[in-house]
Amino acid sequence: MAVTLPTGTSTGSRNRPDGVTVARRGLRSWWPQYLAITPFYVIFLVFGLLPILFSIYLSFTDWDGISQIKFVGLQQYNYLIHDTRFWNAVGNTLIIWVISTVPMLFIALVMAFLLHQNIRLKGFYRVAFFVPNVTSMVAMAIVFGSVFSDSFGIVNSALTALGLPTVAWLSTGWGIKVTLAMLVIWRWTGYNAILYLAALQAVPSDLYDAAKVDGAGFWRTFFSVTIPMLRPVILFTVITSTIGGLGLFTEPQILFGAANGNGTVGGVNEAGMTIVLYQYNQAFSQLDFGYGSAIAWALFILAAVFAIINWRLLRDRDTIPAPKRTRKAGR
Amino acid sequence: MSRRRVLQGGLAAAAGIPLTASLAGCGSGTSISSNPNELVLWYWNRSIAPTLLATAAKGIPGTDRKLRADVLGGAFDTKLRTSFAAQAYIPDLTAVNSNAALYFPSEDQFFNLDDYGAQDYKDDYYDWKWNLGRTPSGRFLFFPMDTGPTGFFYRADLFAAAGLPSEPADVSAAVRTWEEWIALGAKLRETSDVALATNAVMVFNQYVNASPQRYFDSDDKPLFHSSDSAIKKAWDTAVAAIAAKVTRNLQLDTEQNAAWNSGKLGANIEGAWWMKVLTDTAPQTSGKWRIAQQPGDPGNSGGSFLAVPKSCKDPAAALDFARWLTTPENQAQSYNEIQLFPSAPAAFDLGTMADAGGFYGDQDPLEFFSTAAQKVPTTFISTYENLTTSFTDQLRVVESAGKNPDDAWGDAVAAIDKLLKKRGVL
Repeated sequence: MAVTLPTGTSTGSRNRPDGVTVARRGLRSWWPQYLAITPFYVIFLVFGLLPILFSIYLSFTDWDGISQIKFVGLQQYNYLIHDTRFWNAVGNTLIIWVISTVPMLFIALVMAFLLHQNIRLKGFYRVAFFVPNVTSMVAMAIVFGSVFSDSFGIVNSALTALGLPTVAWLSTGWGIKVTLAMLVIWRWTGYNAILYLAALQAVPSDLYDAAKVDGAGFWRTFFSVTIPMLRPVILFTVITSTIGGLGLFTEPQILFGAANGNGTVGGVNEAGMTIVLYQYNQAFSQLDFGYGSAIAWALFILAAVFAIINWRLLRDRDTIPAPKRTRKAGR
Repeated sequence: MSRRRVLQGGLAAAAGIPLTASLAGCGSGTSISSNPNELVLWYWNRSIAPTLLATAAKGIPGTDRKLRADVLGGAFDTKLRTSFAAQAYIPDLTAVNSNAALYFPSEDQFFNLDDYGAQDYKDDYYDWKWNLGRTPSGRFLFFPMDTGPTGFFYRADLFAAAGLPSEPADVSAAVRTWEEWIALGAKLRETSDVALATNAVMVFNQYVNASPQRYFDSDDKPLFHSSDSAIKKAWDTAVAAIAAKVTRNLQLDTEQNAAWNSGKLGANIEGAWWMKVLTDTAPQTSGKWRIAQQPGDPGNSGGSFLAVPKSCKDPAAALDFARWLTTPENQAQSYNEIQLFPSAPAAFDLGTMADAGGFYGDQDPLEFFSTAAQKVPTTFISTYENLTTSFTDQLRVVESAGKNPDDAWGDAVAAIDKLLKKRGVL
């Protein structure tokens, strides 16, 4: 659509008669517009593109932040491929991503569906579910640290009161991952629910009426009307959750970063070490900026792979005949 | 299409970057303030007493310069290194934490304070602290600010209830070695389920902090491979403490605070600055705590320095400031204001330092720590100690997940060796 726009505009057709001079005059007459968009490009160049390029360069070097930068070729990448700590971080990130995203999107969908019904205090619930998303993550990670505390947390106190065995949430491999996943779920469920709710409200009500006429029950309506109509939004939330999941940093940094004073980065046995936390740790705690950059680019490649998978999935979905959908919803 | 062109341009720019980046290594750098009479100091919150900074802002005593103190937030080292890397906006003076050894490889970025007569003041400070400010090549870069002599904090009431010695002198006599300390802890845990230590890492760290030998010798050669190294002994002591259930497997700060409050933890070995931390985190236990001699000799935990970057306008005035800031009078003032423990023993003789106000019963913690500080061993901290975190990481796995200690030791050494090889140390 963007391609067809210029030829259709009135300025284009007005300036057509005499080629080059008109183009130059046109360029000059548009200077306020170019000037107006310049700040973005200048800022992007200085704070966006330049650091990106510099980090590519750094990933081929050995640098501690002060001394001479030493070029080492592919050495950092070679070390990365054989670095068990890095692969552990990749595994952790993927596990936490799966055990947070799957329940999160399901809960969000159910939540949105319920919010879409005619219930009292609808506005209040919508705000309430969105509040976690705007709460400071640092504060919440500290609260979670207390709530899930192995010996003194209320979760374990509750388990004890119910006669159940306690769980070492913050000092065992799965405990750490589940706690981090819950922190992610707590924060992002409301956000996704609001997206789903917006999509639900765009579903034409005659579809529901038709389903009712055909005698479809609650679950049949949910799976045969609601879910298919929400598919583009669901795919969108899966993609954003993938990006967020691969970049998971704040939660483990506050719970298991060096900030907790013990120097335990990533928790016991590095079970909560995510890729970005490892990258931050290598670059800014171990002062190995070359390796930190190499990890960043490995993460970039990983994210690109996931983006391609997502894109493939999205395209395959499009080939499935969906007669009821409008053209706009297709992309 | 346009994206490809952007990439092409980017590659051309990337080729140019090495030139600019390599320039960073040389050059004298620029200071933050262009005002010739103003020296800029970087520090972090609670590292220097505010009233002293206010005085120096009007004029550094003995000089015609003024001090501008800029407080930096988190990631202090990263910010300082960034300005060194860029050779721009470097402070005239900077506080450096106990990890001063990180700057040894970049010692050419700082003035050698010996050139300005720093050695004349040497006798006024604790020897072991003074020596930490010297690089392996012999340059004196880091002027001593505060220190952290360690002691064995314990709950006298819980010890008495368990039928253990509870007076500081008796407790000190009962834990002269780490073996005795573990035996005492085992008895305490058995009789009243009170633990003596937060976790095994605390035992390991305080053992190392009190040892004249650490991870590397002064040529940065690793020492920990040897079975009679201080690190291996610290490890074995920590493992023995786990086995005797003296440690409580508390790996997070929040848990530890709760444990001290609830009385599930009856002790801690930590630097003098912990007096204030304890008063703040467990106020309702006031009057129940005492401080005894830790096993072996006291160590040092924490403590900071002042350093003068090469771009400083007036290194002599900067040293004058460091000297003035750490006079006994001003160290006593810093202690009263923000609990920085002095690096100059004479501060205790003034009698102006405030006591802990009954938090430690009738014991005077100042007297305790001023004596302890005399016995801290002289040691060498290597630049590469920040690569040895695998020891404490593995120790946590031993404590939390029951990993075989010998396997854990082997894994830690292998991981550290791998890192040291990567950095070209091994």
